[in-house]
Amino acid sequence: MTSSSRWSAGRTLLLIGRLALAVVFLAAAYGKLRPQSAVPWTLASLKITPASLGLSMTFFAMQVDSYQLLPPRAVSPFAHTLPWVEFAVGVLLLTGLALRYVSLASALLLALFYGVVIRSYALHLAINCGCFGPNEKLDAWTLVRDGCLFALGVAVTIAAFIVHRRNRPALAASPHCEHAT
Amino acid sequence: MMRSFFYKGKSLNRNAFGILAAACAAFFLFFCVAACVASAAAQTPAEWERLSAEKSLGSPNAPIKMIVYDDYECPVCGELYEQTLRPLIDDYVASGKVYLIHRDFPLTIHLYSRQAARWVNAAARIGKFEAVERAIFDNQMAWSEYGTENPKGIIKPIVESALTAAEFKRVERLMHGCESNSQSEIKGCLVDAGIQRDLAEGELLPVRATPTIVISARGQQYPPMQGVISWPILRQFFDQLLSQK
Repeated sequence: MTSSSRWSAGRTLLLIGRLALAVVFLAAAYGKLRPQSAVPWTLASLKITPASLGLSMTFFAMQVDSYQLLPPRAVSPFAHTLPWVEFAVGVLLLTGLALRYVSLASALLLALFYGVVIRSYALHLAINCGCFGPNEKLDAWTLVRDGCLFALGVAVTIAAFIVHRRNRPALAASPHCEHAT
Repeated sequence: MMRSFFYKGKSLNRNAFGILAAACAAFFLFFCVAACVASAAAQTPAEWERLSAEKSLGSPNAPIKMIVYDDYECPVCGELYEQTLRPLIDDYVASGKVYLIHRDFPLTIHLYSRQAARWVNAAARIGKFEAVERAIFDNQMAWSEYGTENPKGIIKPIVESALTAAEFKRVERLMHGCESNSQSEIKGCLVDAGIQRDLAEGELLPVRATPTIVISARGQQYPPMQGVISWPILRQFFDQLLSQK
C-alpha cells in the first residue's frame, strides 16, 4: 500500500467515523425530544410538535434526576440544554465544519456520559439510561456501548487533528500562500 | 351399527337410551361447573380493581394517574416515599390533581418485604392503607434487614402503633394464616391474592426494578421510570401535564 493510498483510506475512515458519530448524536437528541410514550413506535410518538417538546424535555429532566448527580435546581436547565447540544454536535459532524473542535467536543461529551454511566453502574442504581430515549435499562451492555462510542469519539478527534496537520503544509506550499508571504 | 345400538330387533333398547340420558346429564353438569368457574375467573379483575382501589390515594377522577410499584424493604423505595411521595400525597393527591395507586412488587432478594406487603394489604382491606404504609416506610430501618435496630423482621408492633386496638384486631384477623415470612404465596393467606395480582401486572409491564413509576394523563401513558425522582422535578412534570389543553 503506497503512502497516498494509506492517506486516502485514513480520510475515508475519518469520514465514516464522523458520520457514525453524527448519527449517534442526532439519534440521541431525537430520542429525547420526540413525544415520550409507553407505546414507542406509534405514528403520534414519532412526530415532534411544539406542544410535545416541552413535555418531552421535562420527562427527560426526570431521567436526569434519577441519576442523583445534580441538585434539583440544576437538573431542569441541564435537561433542557443537553438534547439541543447533541443536535448541534450531530449537525456539525454531519457537515464537517470546524471538525477538530466539534469532534473534540463530542469526545468530551461521550467521556462525560461514559463516566456517569460507570458511576451509576458501580452504585447499582436501577434506573433507565435515558441515553437514546426512555425505557432503556442501564446495564452492562450500556457500559460496553458507551465505551465503544467514547473510543470512536477519541479516534475521530485524533484523526481530525492528524488530517488538519497534514493539510497545513500543503496549504503553506501553495502559490497563493507564497505570494502572501 | 347405531341402529343396532338403539334397536333390539324391532323394539327400542332402553339401556342405550339410559346411557345416552346419563351422558347428556353428565355433559350438562360439566357445562354448568365450567360456566361457574369461568364466571368466577371473570370476576377476578373486578375484585382486583376493588383491591387496587383500597391501596390507592386521592380521587379516581383526578387528571393524572400515577402507579408506583414498590417493595417495602427496598431502601430506594423508602427514599422515594419519604422525599417524593409524602409531599405528593399532602399536596397534589390531597387537592385532587393526582390519583396515586400503590402496587406491590416484593422482590425475593428481600427477606421481609412480602410480609410487610401482607400487613399493608390487610390494613388496606379495612381502609387503613395510608396510615400503615406510612408507618412501614417511616420505620423501615427498624424492621428491614438493612436496619440498624434489632430485632429485624418484626413488623407487627409497627402496624399496631399505626392503628387503634379495634382496627388492629380486624387486621390481625385478616392476617390469619399469613404469619410465615415466606416470600412466595401462602395458601390460605387471604391477602396474598392481591399481592400476586400486583406482581403479575408488574411482570407484564415489565417492572425491572423497584421503585417503578408509571404516569398517565389524558389517555396517554408515559414510559415507566425507575429510581428516585425528587419532588420538585416530578411536580414540574405534573404542572406541565395539568397546563396542557
